[in-house]
Amino acid sequence: MQQEVNTETALQNIQRLTDNIETVIKGKRNQIKFVLTALLAKGHILMEDNPGTGKTVMAKTLAQSISGSNAGNINFKRIQFTPDLLPMDLIGSHIFDDIKKEFIFKKGPLFCNVLLADEINRASPKVQSALLECMAENQITIGEITYKLDNLFFTIATQNPVEMEGTYPLPAAQLDRFFIKIIFGYVDEETELDIYKNYLGINNNLNNIQRVLSLDEILFLQQQSESVFVHEEIIKAVRNIVWATRRHQDILLGASTRSGITFLKCLKAYALVNGRTYVIEDDINDLTSPVLDHRLIYKNKDAKVKTLAAITVAEMDRLSKLKISN
Amino acid sequence: MRIEKLHSSKKTAAQLVLLILPGCIVGAYMLWHINQYYSVLNDQWLKHSLYLAVGLITGCIFYNYRFRFISTIIPLILLLLIISKIINSTFTGEFSVFYAATNFFIFSFLFIVGCLTGWGFARLRYFPVILSAILLAIQIVVVSKTSDITAQKLIIAFAPVLVFALYIIYTAELVRNMNDDEPAFAWFIGKKIIGFILVSSIILLLIFSLFNKEFKAIEKEFGGAGKQQKETDKESLTKENKDGTVSNKKEMGMSGGRSSSKRLVFIAKLDNYFPNSETPNPLYFTYDYYTKFDTLTQTLETDSLMPSNDLFQPDPSKIPLYFTQSDSSVILKAKGYLKRKVVTTEVYKALLSPQEFLAPSTAFFCQPIAVEKEYQQQFKTAYRAKMYVSDLNSAYFIYNPAGNQSLETFQQQRFDELRKVTNWNNEDKYFMDYYTFIPKGDSYDSIRALAQLVTKNSATPIDKMIAIREYFLSRDENGQPLFKYTENPGVPGLPSANKLTYFLFDNRKGYCAYFAGATLFLLRALGIPSRVATGFLTVDRSDKNKGWYWFYEDQAHAWTEAYFPGYGWIDFDTTIPSTEQQQSPAPDGTPPITVQSAYFVTTGKVLSVDTSKRRVEMQVTKMIFHDKTFDLKEPVDLDMDVSIATINKDTGSVSLSEIKQGMQITALSFSEQFKNIIPIDSNSPKEIFSKIPHPAPIDEIRIQDTEKEKQQKEQPKKEKKSLSITKLILVALAILGGIVLLIFCLPWLIYRWFKFKALQKNNCTSKAYWQYTSAMYLLNQLGFTRNDLSPLQFAKQQIDPQFKTNFSAFVQVYLKSKYSTQRLTLSEENTVTGFYRPFESAVKNKIPFKKRFNKFLNFYRTINYFTKPKV
Repeated sequence: MQQEVNTETALQNIQRLTDNIETVIKGKRNQIKFVLTALLAKGHILMEDNPGTGKTVMAKTLAQSISGSNAGNINFKRIQFTPDLLPMDLIGSHIFDDIKKEFIFKKGPLFCNVLLADEINRASPKVQSALLECMAENQITIGEITYKLDNLFFTIATQNPVEMEGTYPLPAAQLDRFFIKIIFGYVDEETELDIYKNYLGINNNLNNIQRVLSLDEILFLQQQSESVFVHEEIIKAVRNIVWATRRHQDILLGASTRSGITFLKCLKAYALVNGRTYVIEDDINDLTSPVLDHRLIYKNKDAKVKTLAAITVAEMDRLSKLKISN
Repeated sequence: MRIEKLHSSKKTAAQLVLLILPGCIVGAYMLWHINQYYSVLNDQWLKHSLYLAVGLITGCIFYNYRFRFISTIIPLILLLLIISKIINSTFTGEFSVFYAATNFFIFSFLFIVGCLTGWGFARLRYFPVILSAILLAIQIVVVSKTSDITAQKLIIAFAPVLVFALYIIYTAELVRNMNDDEPAFAWFIGKKIIGFILVSSIILLLIFSLFNKEFKAIEKEFGGAGKQQKETDKESLTKENKDGTVSNKKEMGMSGGRSSSKRLVFIAKLDNYFPNSETPNPLYFTYDYYTKFDTLTQTLETDSLMPSNDLFQPDPSKIPLYFTQSDSSVILKAKGYLKRKVVTTEVYKALLSPQEFLAPSTAFFCQPIAVEKEYQQQFKTAYRAKMYVSDLNSAYFIYNPAGNQSLETFQQQRFDELRKVTNWNNEDKYFMDYYTFIPKGDSYDSIRALAQLVTKNSATPIDKMIAIREYFLSRDENGQPLFKYTENPGVPGLPSANKLTYFLFDNRKGYCAYFAGATLFLLRALGIPSRVATGFLTVDRSDKNKGWYWFYEDQAHAWTEAYFPGYGWIDFDTTIPSTEQQQSPAPDGTPPITVQSAYFVTTGKVLSVDTSKRRVEMQVTKMIFHDKTFDLKEPVDLDMDVSIATINKDTGSVSLSEIKQGMQITALSFSEQFKNIIPIDSNSPKEIFSKIPHPAPIDEIRIQDTEKEKQQKEQPKKEKKSLSITKLILVALAILGGIVLLIFCLPWLIYRWFKFKALQKNNCTSKAYWQYTSAMYLLNQLGFTRNDLSPLQFAKQQIDPQFKTNFSAFVQVYLKSKYSTQRLTLSEENTVTGFYRPFESAVKNKIPFKKRFNKFLNFYRTINYFTKPKV
């Protein structure tokens, strides 16, 4: 009984959060869902698109929708990645304190709840790898001291399309840390008009964002997403898809076991975001590409779009004809 | 350059095992089957199917790599052509070139056919359909070659091909669609195929058992045999009729083996004895004469247009009992007037067809007779025949005097008699040209030369004939017999070898037909008019029952007859004795009681019946007295004593009260009283009537069918015959129509099944499943496919806006019931239970009936629904 009540409130909270973000980011419901999925799955999200499509606003809105422990905002930091950025600019550095006559650690912008890593692929690989540990382990080690990050650490990274000049493509290991990679995309014509009117008419919505959820509620939602029910056939389907990517003749590097686990985590979170406490085959259909696509290395570019879609379609066909009698 | 593979090795292996291997087997089967009909193939089907299999496997494996078809097959054909040219130029000697070239041609042809088939399996999706059509067409062509089609033959020809067609169409699609990444995939495929084989065999069995009667009807229509003939029987001299009886075949091949069956065909009493002795003189029973040689088919043929046709061929089953049919013109045509006499025989048919008539040569009279009751089980019918037989004829004529002194002297006398004939100068030219015809050509010249060589020391025709007989019996330089008798002479190993010369000069093994055929040509080469007779060899085993002969199936025989002016046609048998002497299986049984002759037969209308006194009065219109038929222009009334008579109808014995006034009856008498009244030729019927006793003692009365009954009996028969033609067409149409109808109805039937399941289920989970399946199937059939959309997306984005339904709500509940362990809430259950009918009617409202109907005819969509999506 307790469980059901909790589920009810959790689902309501998610609905509130989604609605709240949507007041600012219009016409991007799916993208919002993916961002929330990454958040609830305790992962990070990578968004790829041209500048000016609302990636930063998205991150800001999300941060501002969550209230921190002392009724203020949660800690939101934004780092603009540039080629001359150094790792210590991110994690912080030891500074000599004249009064205390000792080195004290000055925390860098990584010590936050929500981090917006803008144009991550413009930074050098060295800086990129500095992000690795904190994204994976939620901690930062400098010298011998390990600093724990806050319970909630969510990175929203954006990157310009890889083909653009002055970019360092992210290494496979780092890409693997991002649970989901989405393409933000432009809104449709109607929504675009709406956005302009909104901007002209009233003051910027971003300043009046309500804090709808507390940090604890977010952590509770993360906890709730763990308990989403996954049917055995869904697990099998994930296995089949992962295996299929390894065997496919057009794929050079298939999905790892870790990506399979990530996939399952995302499926659970996504189900919760969609107001369900169980995973259905639609979730697999929606998530295969955002979760797996950036982890695979294809033999040629042409195969990129078709291959994973084909694998998914085949597996969806199996699932859809399956008769399960519980 | 690395050639990429089209399929994974696993898939290729599956194709090899599941498609190519059965293909090889069916290919071998078809080659074997074609071999039955085309002797050119020389029974080397095993070798040929090996060629085909090599081609198949090569083609399948080769084209599983991405080779282009045309640019690979044309060089292959060219290569084979070049090799055949090389063979032609390197081998010397006409024979070896021909042999090697022919063999290589057959190899190339089969190899290329195999390659093409392998390519088809590897590359073309619809190839199995094409292949099935081709295979069926081949079988139809092959089967249409046969004259007597039987159900067995049809089944043998078509069942394997049909099964194979179904099998490959199913399996090819299965292999194409299979996911070779799937674990335990071999088991998955095995399961499907075993299931398929079970289902298809059940269906085939059902068809054959349900339509068995119709098959029999078709079979009867074609006049085929009811029983499957044994392989060795295929070239036997006799053939089996549909009712299991035996007739002679109308053509005489010169290959294959003879029947070795020991079944009793008929028995005969032959009243022929050597002059002035009690020793029975057996005669060959003739069935037909073979006078024409067809060089094309290498067979001797009967010819109804032969000059001086002395063949008497009545149908005993069409002559009423005790009535006679005779044709004295054959006596004239037989052209023999010296040393001739009339001989009587009585033939009791066991296996012999009731329609058949067999008798020693120049029969001119046939009279069906009754079989005594206790023998009716064994002998169905019987007839009496009279022949105009030469004194010089005997089954002992040429050989096998068996050391019997009297027979040997008798033979000598015959030869002396026949030596009087030295030429045929007075004969009709056309007659001579016909009976001495021999084709032109090298191989026939060699026969002429042989004939001259064999008979160089003989002067008269009969001495020449004896020389030919001696030649067949002669021994070679090693003291071994030159010719051997064998039931299975085999077939010549060369495609174009003339079978006759092959027998005479190379093989020298054969059975009667070989010896008779060879003798015919030797005689004709010498200008002696001759023909081949077929029938039954008479083996004298009449120690116990004098004059009775038993004829078994393996006594079917062929021999030569030569024409001697003045003496007519004389039997001349050159078949040498078999080393494995033919023996009848069991001692001959007892013959039927010596037949009483019906001295007095009358037929006419019943005038009155007195059951108490057992008297019948009849008005006689036709009478047979001592085998003499009298037609009475003025009917005579006859009083008959029937106190000891049996009264028979077609249906069997009946009582006297069955005889009614006005009936047509036949009355017979075997009474001694009639025997003693010998008629004189000049006697008129009235005079005979005055001589016979009154009332006349009658032994048997047969009630004839009235006109009405006759009509009734004949009508259904006629109808049956005409019906069976239409029936044949109807059955074929019905089967075809049924299949077509089934294919067109199948989508609808499947939908009904799904819907039935959906509406009938009570369990909410399975109800949701069946409703979902049913809805998806309906939408698929109507042209709305899910493609790469997820179920919810499909419902939300495509279906609900289109039909204004709440499909997405249902799908949500369905997916919940499918993937969640939670129980459905009451409202959700209501969604499930109240979903289907509104949904269906919404869909139906949107799409008019005509459109729906057309879409449901589309079988292709159904296939697409059940197969994996093409990506």
